[in-house]
Amino acid sequence: MMTNFPLLSITLFLPLLGAILLMAFKTGRKGTNIIAVGTAFLTLLGTLGMAWRGLGTGFSQVEEVAWIPQLDVAYRVGIDGISFTLVLLTGILFLSSIVFSTKIKQKPRAYMALFLMLETACLGVFMSLDLLLFYVFFEITLVGMYFIIVGWGHENAKKAGVMFFIYTLVGSLLLLLAFLALYLNADPRTFDMRALIENPPVTGGIAVFTFWALFLAFAIKTPLFPFHSWLPLAHTEAPAAGSAILAGILLKLGAYGFIRFMLQMTPEMFREFAWVVMAVAVFSVVYGALVAMAQTDLKRMVAYTSINHMGYLVFGVAVAAVGSESAGIRGLDGATLQMFSHGIVTGLLFLLIGAIQDRVTTREIPVLKGLLKSYPLLSGFFVVAAFASLGLPGLAHFPAEFQIFLGGFEDYPWAVVIMLLGLVIISATYVRSIQRSFMGAADRNILKMVKDLNARELLAFVPLLILIILTGVYPDWILKYIHETVKLLM
Amino acid sequence: MEQDLLNILPQLIVLATSMLALCFEMLRRATGSLWVLVIGLAAAAGVAISKLGTVTTAFSETFRVDFLSLWAAIILGGAGILSALLMRQELRKTGREGTLSSLVGFSTLGSMILAGAGDMMFLVLGVLISGLTGFGLAAYPKTDKATEGGIKYFIYGSVTGAVMLFMLTFWAGTSGSTLLSALGQPGLEPVLVLLGFAGVLAGLGYSASLFPFHFWTPDVFEGAPVSVAAFVSVTPKIGAFFALAQVMRSLHPEGLDYNLILALLAAFSMTFGNVVALWQKNVLRLMAYSTIAQAGYFLLGVIAINGSELAVSSLVVFSVAYAAMNIGAFAIIQQVGPQILNFEGLARKKPFMAVAMVVFLLSLVGLPPLAGFAGKFLLFGAAIDVGYSWLAIIAILNSVISLAVYLRIINPMFFKKQPVFSSEPSTLLRWVFLSSFAVTVLVGIAVRYFL
Repeated sequence: MMTNFPLLSITLFLPLLGAILLMAFKTGRKGTNIIAVGTAFLTLLGTLGMAWRGLGTGFSQVEEVAWIPQLDVAYRVGIDGISFTLVLLTGILFLSSIVFSTKIKQKPRAYMALFLMLETACLGVFMSLDLLLFYVFFEITLVGMYFIIVGWGHENAKKAGVMFFIYTLVGSLLLLLAFLALYLNADPRTFDMRALIENPPVTGGIAVFTFWALFLAFAIKTPLFPFHSWLPLAHTEAPAAGSAILAGILLKLGAYGFIRFMLQMTPEMFREFAWVVMAVAVFSVVYGALVAMAQTDLKRMVAYTSINHMGYLVFGVAVAAVGSESAGIRGLDGATLQMFSHGIVTGLLFLLIGAIQDRVTTREIPVLKGLLKSYPLLSGFFVVAAFASLGLPGLAHFPAEFQIFLGGFEDYPWAVVIMLLGLVIISATYVRSIQRSFMGAADRNILKMVKDLNARELLAFVPLLILIILTGVYPDWILKYIHETVKLLM
Repeated sequence: MEQDLLNILPQLIVLATSMLALCFEMLRRATGSLWVLVIGLAAAAGVAISKLGTVTTAFSETFRVDFLSLWAAIILGGAGILSALLMRQELRKTGREGTLSSLVGFSTLGSMILAGAGDMMFLVLGVLISGLTGFGLAAYPKTDKATEGGIKYFIYGSVTGAVMLFMLTFWAGTSGSTLLSALGQPGLEPVLVLLGFAGVLAGLGYSASLFPFHFWTPDVFEGAPVSVAAFVSVTPKIGAFFALAQVMRSLHPEGLDYNLILALLAAFSMTFGNVVALWQKNVLRLMAYSTIAQAGYFLLGVIAINGSELAVSSLVVFSVAYAAMNIGAFAIIQQVGPQILNFEGLARKKPFMAVAMVVFLLSLVGLPPLAGFAGKFLLFGAAIDVGYSWLAIIAILNSVISLAVYLRIINPMFFKKQPVFSSEPSTLLRWVFLSSFAVTVLVGIAVRYFL
């Protein structure tokens, strides 16, 4: 039924429509919140509708309109299990972030419009089946995030925003070069990702160039050591919901690129250089964990744990590039699941840190004390999310990381052993920071009479918490979509 | 002969309207001459649109009617109209603004001639007409700064023009003809060809404010009326690059790697322009160095002209984009003021204007889905297509630097509190930046019609 209904395009442009409405009409604060939350909610319904229609094998629900036919550029959107996972994540996390942000008092209309525009850009990146279309959305995410960081961030927001913009622009322009190389070497020349996946076009010297350009672009975005230096600052300075989106969705653009472009369009090169990718990934795991441990700012700490988690994820993809079929399926299943779980877990953590900062006006771990006494509910959420982040069984990260380790252990036991070390350090980091900021006697300043979580915050946090637990105990609800695609891909 | 005249109808229309505008000026009907010019340029562009697809020559191959020259007539016609409207708005009440209209018309004509040049003499004619009228426009307000800019423009113009003319004699000597197509024959003396090429680079490089022939640019931009800066940043430049493309099409690459020379110039022009722009406090000077940098990008398309199908369309698309975003940005600068300080808090007072400025500047950086991206995307593709990947990489690194340049204007608009700007834009000005805005936003989507 209704097979021609353009659900993908409607879902994709719905947030943009909301943004335009917000820009066009001088809605009051209440009206702004209603439009923003309403649009984000409808968008989430749209993504659920995609699951309801069912994913076939390969790319399904494809919609296509010619754009530059002479160059075979077209508006092509479609989803497979991997992109659907991220589309769903985008729908969920944006709704939570927007609900959380309804408290914003400073220029709420522009803020919400930017968020909605950013949502369209993120959905577009994951849905695109055309290199040029992908690139267009990829760049719009940069512009949107830049204005959110600089406009609504903390003290050093301008520096953080400029650094973020410039760093990632380097990456995305390299991406453009790689895309041009793919296009110029395809026969017949095309920007159609399906055709490029079917017949990876680049060979020889140009393939080496393409691979490394892609690698740099996505390593900056992911980010992996040593291309990460924009991340802690951007995270620290961005507003809470901005950090949540940055960590939850934008970092996934890089990880998604590792799978979609490097693994699928330059597989030979990936096989050849997988050891480099693995080495960088393993190093990022340990580095991220160690540096996270040294942080005194909660936000910075979580930011560095992201580098650690992205390391596991990229390792999983590298295993898929080079390992045996069974190992590859495990690695890629795990990596994709990790994208989803990292999105909801880290998204929740950043929102929670925002809630903490709203109450006690600091994020410094040494200053925070005894939060548990004053804010039991908030602390409870934080502890669960933190345990999820360190990979406790029964919570979202565990099934993802377990599969990555399982896949990797067959052929690269030493790498896995080193990464387990990272896991131990991360656990210690979280346990120590929880102990220091939530336990013990409360500081006088912390005891200010501010209420525990209010309805707005609960509305934003509870769905994420439920998903964290659901994914932990029954990962198959999402893994079934991922696994079908991954099987096909290997 | 009749067919020849029909083939250059757009150029003839511009010639006629410029002269008619001059007549109105003599009758002291400034508004009349403005509207004559607007209608004439629009008619020329319309005729050029109707001729798109024609490939022929006029007057025994001395003028080429092709994709490049027809699109030049369209783009330059549009840019001329917008610039004239801007000038009218800025220089109303001087009493002689009819002069401006006819100068704009003649200068546009010069650039249109350049874009279709099939003969050395047309190159000289084009550089001289567009240059001579430029001096008049730049020095028009008669202030010290304007005069200084005008004189610099004049001196550089006459020197490079003379050098060009002199060096072209080597070409004529070795090929036995002034036709550019004669340069395609094998066996010409390479040294003489190189000398002629250097002369052409000097003349056209000056018109295009390409490094190292750019020295007049910042002073003219700072001294001249903003609308004149907008005009000279666009029209002569597009004419010059199209002319250079016509030259490169004709050259026979025997023993000399002309492309390598152009590639080095491109790399220097981009890097020099962007790096120097980083330190400017005056927005007009910043934009001047930005146009020097953007000149480098144009060269990517010129380099690929013999090897890639993308080259011609990349030049055209980038020119459309460049004209729209530059004139749009200058329109806003004219309204807001020449210092970065003037831009503080603009977003609060005039949100649409601020958003439009962001769109123009990000388009200059080359961010999608804006017109500048479409142009740069095709330029990079063309350069890679002919094996100049290293130049594409340099161009990309430069785009990153240019982001830092333009953020220096963007940031104060949004992230500074005190709005210092209050005057209302006039209807004319509104039309100018609305149409530039529309082109800048839509070209990316409609790029298929340029190919």
